[in-house]
Amino acid sequence: MEPSDGAVVRRVLAGEVAQYRILVERYRAEFGRYALAAVGDRDAAEDAMQEAFIRAFDALATCREPERFGAWFFRILTNQCRNAVARRRETVSLDDLDPPGRDRADAALDREELGAALEAALARLTPEQREAFVMKHVEGRSYEEMAEMLGVGVDALKMRVHRARDAMRAMMGAMR
Amino acid sequence: MMERDGFSEAAHRYLDGDPGQAAELGLDERAAADRLASAAGAYAARLEPLAATLDQRVMSAVLAKAGGRERRSGVRWLFAPRTVRVRPVWIPALVAAAALVLWLLPRAPAVPAAPERGATVTPVAAVMPDTVYVHFELVAPQAHSVAVAGTFNGWRVGALEMTRRGDGLWSVTAPLPVGEHRYDFVVDGTHWVPDPTAHIQVEDGFGGRNSVIVVGPRGLVRS
Repeated sequence: MEPSDGAVVRRVLAGEVAQYRILVERYRAEFGRYALAAVGDRDAAEDAMQEAFIRAFDALATCREPERFGAWFFRILTNQCRNAVARRRETVSLDDLDPPGRDRADAALDREELGAALEAALARLTPEQREAFVMKHVEGRSYEEMAEMLGVGVDALKMRVHRARDAMRAMMGAMR
Repeated sequence: MMERDGFSEAAHRYLDGDPGQAAELGLDERAAADRLASAAGAYAARLEPLAATLDQRVMSAVLAKAGGRERRSGVRWLFAPRTVRVRPVWIPALVAAAALVLWLLPRAPAVPAAPERGATVTPVAAVMPDTVYVHFELVAPQAHSVAVAGTFNGWRVGALEMTRRGDGLWSVTAPLPVGEHRYDFVVDGTHWVPDPTAHIQVEDGFGGRNSVIVVGPRGLVRS
């Protein structure tokens, strides 16, 4: 049986550093797709994830609820993803991301194109809107679950998701 | 533009999972909401999981940090295996005194002209029934530093530094307890190199390999 997060955290803090790999494997698999969707670039997402794990390791002694390491780590990860998005926006022009134009409103976008169009629109959201939209519609989480993971109230998260949807509908004319 | 193109409250409730709101939506808004949800699903399907190689990068960084902490604080940290390159050769002995004698004896060059890196591990003597001196050698003329890290020293990079000879042969002798040990050479502090000539190598769990030596009470059993 896989050891609990709390058991692993205690072992690592006791000096069994190699045990940290259990948490890395566990939460790379759990949150990897989130990081990729939140950042929008695989290399940048991997860097954000790596930095989050290292920061979590450095601060492990401050994890007050080792059994809830995953939720604690997720908040570190979201911060790293936001930083990655900010850095990416300094170097990548949004014009380089090619959302479908309104002149394609009547065109039938296939599923692949739909995914690509959404990816381009995601890049234009604020980091907070993007992470909320990804958690709600890409990962399929409930608002309550999102609130628990992000430490943000349900109403505030609903607002972020609604604004994200409104912005995306505006950007993705092809969806109207 | 956002206000004009945004969804109605009913559409948001519909997208939040209330199908009963569908009747409140016009055809265009219903289609737009369905397309947004469909696009999110299509986008999710495009997402490949992050590669497991990430785990190794994280652990390399974490273990290096842990090593630094230990050197600073004296706290004992256990290290995970990495890669290496070693060729153990044994000279079993029986007592501690013999270790010193053997250490002073002239030894023929253990390592022939080798590729850039190669190594030998020479057990020199047994100091106790359950401890044996093992001599490690590695040919690495281009290296600036070489150390041995293994299960016997908690995989600490700086715990067993090797000394360079003029011809690029690095060596060190260390007492190892009887039993099976895994080890790697750490070249220039970051490159973990497995012993290409070791008879036994095992996966290190991070995509690399560790060499294995088995120390018996009367010397090397297997390397």
